[in-house]
Amino acid sequence: MTEPFAQLTAFARELRDAGVPSGAAELQDFVTATRLLGPADVYWAGRMTLLTNADQIPLYDAAFARYWTDAVSDDRPAPPPPPVDRDEPGAEGMRSARGNERGREALEPSALELLRHKSFGEIDDAELQMIAERLRALIEELPARRTLRSRPGGHGELDLRRTAARALRHGGDSHELIRRRPRVRPRPLVLLLDVSGSMTPYARALMILGHAAARAGRRCETFCFATRLTRTTGALRERDATDAIARAAEEVFDWDGGTRIGESLKAFLDLHGHAGMARGAVVVICSDGLEVGDPALLGAEMARLQRLASRVIWLNPLKAQANYEPLAQGMAAALPYTDTFSSGHSLAALEALMVP
Amino acid sequence: MRLGATTPEAANLAHVEDVTRALREASYIADRGLATAVFLALKAERPLLLEGPAGVGKTEVAKALARTLGRRLIRLQSYEGLDAGHALYEWDYARQLLHARLHTLVEDDSSGPGSTIENAERALYSERFLLERPLLAAVRAGSGAVLLIDELDRADHEFEAFLLEFLADFAVTIPELETIRAESPPLVVITSNRTRELHDALKRRCLFHWIDYPSAEREQAIIELRVPGIAPALAAGVAQAVGRLRSIGLVKPPGAAEAVDWARALALLGADVVSSEAAHDSLGWVVKSVEDLRTVRAQLDAILDD
Repeated sequence: MTEPFAQLTAFARELRDAGVPSGAAELQDFVTATRLLGPADVYWAGRMTLLTNADQIPLYDAAFARYWTDAVSDDRPAPPPPPVDRDEPGAEGMRSARGNERGREALEPSALELLRHKSFGEIDDAELQMIAERLRALIEELPARRTLRSRPGGHGELDLRRTAARALRHGGDSHELIRRRPRVRPRPLVLLLDVSGSMTPYARALMILGHAAARAGRRCETFCFATRLTRTTGALRERDATDAIARAAEEVFDWDGGTRIGESLKAFLDLHGHAGMARGAVVVICSDGLEVGDPALLGAEMARLQRLASRVIWLNPLKAQANYEPLAQGMAAALPYTDTFSSGHSLAALEALMVP
Repeated sequence: MRLGATTPEAANLAHVEDVTRALREASYIADRGLATAVFLALKAERPLLLEGPAGVGKTEVAKALARTLGRRLIRLQSYEGLDAGHALYEWDYARQLLHARLHTLVEDDSSGPGSTIENAERALYSERFLLERPLLAAVRAGSGAVLLIDELDRADHEFEAFLLEFLADFAVTIPELETIRAESPPLVVITSNRTRELHDALKRRCLFHWIDYPSAEREQAIIELRVPGIAPALAAGVAQAVGRLRSIGLVKPPGAAEAVDWARALALLGADVVSSEAAHDSLGWVVKSVEDLRTVRAQLDAILDD
């Protein structure tokens, strides 16, 4: 006895509406798996064939509960909290990026110079495109590290493989010793972007930085946070920088309310950072440091981050103001664990950071 | 390679419950989800992708499967910079060189006909100079093996793309020699700690299963299985305390292995229950970072409270 095909299809559609896409091949797998397992395990059959990501499990559980409350396998985890409403106000900042026209003609050098010092809080989308191009050119400059891989040349260790291959051509006589030197690879870049309140335009500019880095072949991860953390790395796969921003805006639910930096940082470290994402990476946090949560937690998590990361950079646009002092409790708690503290509020500020 | 109606190679595993039992015989206690995943992987001959926090026994699943199915475990540990050469095969250059040298000496000596240059070259690229690496070994062993590709998230994107191709046809082509194809594919278990998101195409090729920390009951069962003769009350106490340790936001939450170690240590100390004193003395077995030790010591009584 099998679950009717139509029912499985309808459930897959429900799941798609909940934000977990699946194609015909996955649907076929789902049907086959249900047939192999029997209807009692339809929960597991779907979970293993329709999902590709642990983040999707809460969405799956919710959709499953909505659709199939009576067919639940009893070994299933507790139902998840209700899904968040996506249409929150305040999303306009990043969302408006898509609507505007792109591809204005290249700015005159003087215009670029002006743009360079304009705060990210005041630029439009065409200017953002310009900035994206400039950042992409700069991106190669960030610190690099050695990898296991090597390339021929230099005065390093002997490359037995290439030496032997060459020698075999001469009947086994080694005329020439080939050496190798380690390949150098740019460090991964992790961006943690505050998207609460007035921070949105700066987050937008840094998404552009992340996008430029990813397009330049660098390993780059981006996360947005206000009260909770959302991974937006997927958006970096978009070809176009403005599309990437629009997609990130769709993925982030949480635009309102205060900033819980400590908790968001902890979520990052627990789920990703400690497991290896932050290890040896350049981690950039962009936030005004106005912490609603416990500053002590923020301090502790910053200490943890600093142990993992190669370099911790905190960008605070408020620092651009002449009379700014890091008096906010959150900022004060984070500063001792920050390698570089800078404003990062304009292209010039980012340039200065990347090319010291 | 979609799910098909292929015949189950492990004919005696007709139901999910049989998988649970078989794993248990290999000292692995699986919950329903994991047993289902393994069942499907065997029936449908699909790779199994296991993700989850460190220490939940992802790697151990593959080892237990190899034991209980009577198959050979072939392990490929991933690392940054892992490439096809390290995963498939390599030629033994030093021996090839030596052979070539000896060959010229002998040639010079005898200078007889018969042995041609082609023969000499063929000899150089023959089985005896081939160094087999895990993926080639797995193709040759076929369904006689469990192939464990451990911590794939540590390898580069390029390797992932290569692996995707490999999993599609389970064939290895050695240009100088031959193409070797698996008669029936090995059972493939891929693990990831999720430090990096694996590519969607690879995930879609696999059955995806997320392993979470065990429930208190399952943890107790694991402890009792791994520490023979332990008092059930002590095992239950350790399971409960470890569950709480995982919920207080430690930097390194203890995995199942730490729970077992701790239980063993407490048993050696002669404890019947997880008393505050015994726990204090043995905390280093379960909590493995200085900051965490400080946090835990401060709340130890609350953690052990019933």
